[in-house]
Amino acid sequence: MIRLTGMYAHTLQRVTGLGLLLYLFLHVRTIHKLSEGPQAFDEALAFFRHPLFKLGEIALLAAVILHALNGIRITLLDLGHAHGRQASLFWRLTVGAGAVLFLAGAIPMFLFAILKVR
Amino acid sequence: MSWNAINWYGQRITGAALVLLLIAHFWVEHFASDQLLRGELTYEAIRARIASPLWQGIDIAFLIVALYHGLGGLRNIVIDHGRIGPGAARVVTALLIAAGALWAWWGIEAFQNLR
Amino acid sequence: MSSYGVRVARNQGGIGRGYQTFSVELEDRMTVLDALFAVQRDHDPSFTFRCACRVGMCGTCAVSINGIPRLACRTRASSLGAPEIVVAPLPNLPVLKDVAVSMEPFFEQWKRVTPGFRPKHPESKELAIVPASSQYMRMTGGKRDCITCGACFGACGVKATSGEYLGPAAINRALLRLADPRDEAVAPRMKALDSERAGVWRCHTQFNCTAVCPKGISLTDSIVWLKRAMLRRAPFEKLP
Repeated sequence: MIRLTGMYAHTLQRVTGLGLLLYLFLHVRTIHKLSEGPQAFDEALAFFRHPLFKLGEIALLAAVILHALNGIRITLLDLGHAHGRQASLFWRLTVGAGAVLFLAGAIPMFLFAILKVR
Repeated sequence: MSWNAINWYGQRITGAALVLLLIAHFWVEHFASDQLLRGELTYEAIRARIASPLWQGIDIAFLIVALYHGLGGLRNIVIDHGRIGPGAARVVTALLIAAGALWAWWGIEAFQNLR
Repeated sequence: MSSYGVRVARNQGGIGRGYQTFSVELEDRMTVLDALFAVQRDHDPSFTFRCACRVGMCGTCAVSINGIPRLACRTRASSLGAPEIVVAPLPNLPVLKDVAVSMEPFFEQWKRVTPGFRPKHPESKELAIVPASSQYMRMTGGKRDCITCGACFGACGVKATSGEYLGPAAINRALLRLADPRDEAVAPRMKALDSERAGVWRCHTQFNCTAVCPKGISLTDSIVWLKRAMLRRAPFEKLP
């Protein structure tokens, strides 16, 4: 049966890419507060301590990992490697290795944010 | 070699560079000092590092590389989906370059008043 | 004999008329094309579809089967793993009637890469032979079987939104002509392939084309090869 894994990978790349671009905008906006002095900056950061933003950071981690690993997959394919295995490369590299890296980061992030555990 | 080929190549190179820059950036922001390790992200904790021109340079380079890659990706999406002719495509490219320049300046400005 | 529900798209002069489902009886190894004939013969003689050779050589019967562009004559009904067969026209092409599409946009793109052979020595009286052991033959092995069925064109995610993109078949053809040591028309083809909005740069390695090609051509590989070739100044003087 024909599987269109490559198409899903492409869509994922675009969606995460746009999400990361949006994040970059918000991030530069916040960091810009550095120029307004300690009070303005610390206030801005305190705003982002809300648990909703902490969950957002975990989502950001997922987006970065998926986009980066799939980007590596695309670069490998563009260099002419692994064409016969492009779908399995998606599942093993982007999703498989991605899940491992995600959990390695998300679990400590979650514990630290929710339980203030180090 | 065409401009399109250079840009295509550029997306791959900047992508690879971003992986490394991101790891470095994340390490410096969250693991490089005791205070940061404790999660105390305050003006003081960050200023201690960012006062150095080396780190400012790396951050600014990171921002510019990220903008090239991100806005370049956005340009691809627009060209794929917009029913736009060659003239309009050039306008879109010019707008994205302008937006990128303003955005980069916005980020560079963040470092100007560090005490 | 098994019973299948065949759900076909109806269309009159470009205007969609929804779907109709017909029940057909098919023998064990019958194909979707057999099912379409059964619909026409036993239910509705006005139902329109295209076919010619019935053996996967001509590329005429390409349609969308359960969402995937395929040759109807090469798709066994039993291989679909579902009791319902949904047949729709190939995407990205204008519909003429029911599941028959116009291949004009496909061949418009095809012509833009100068698909015909342009000999280096048109006056020569000698046969221009490319030996079977040559680099050209080895490099293009498996890529020469295109039957211009249009499945790749229909499957391409970029073609769905970009009317200008050349599409995998045309690009693959350009590669074959460019790599042919007897062909001299390099510049016009490279120009067509380098186009910002229509050329190889519109491919985003989705691999839909490679997945659906009934001849098993690695179309994405051809396109990716050309992208890399564009980085070199004289990519086809010496084949890498």
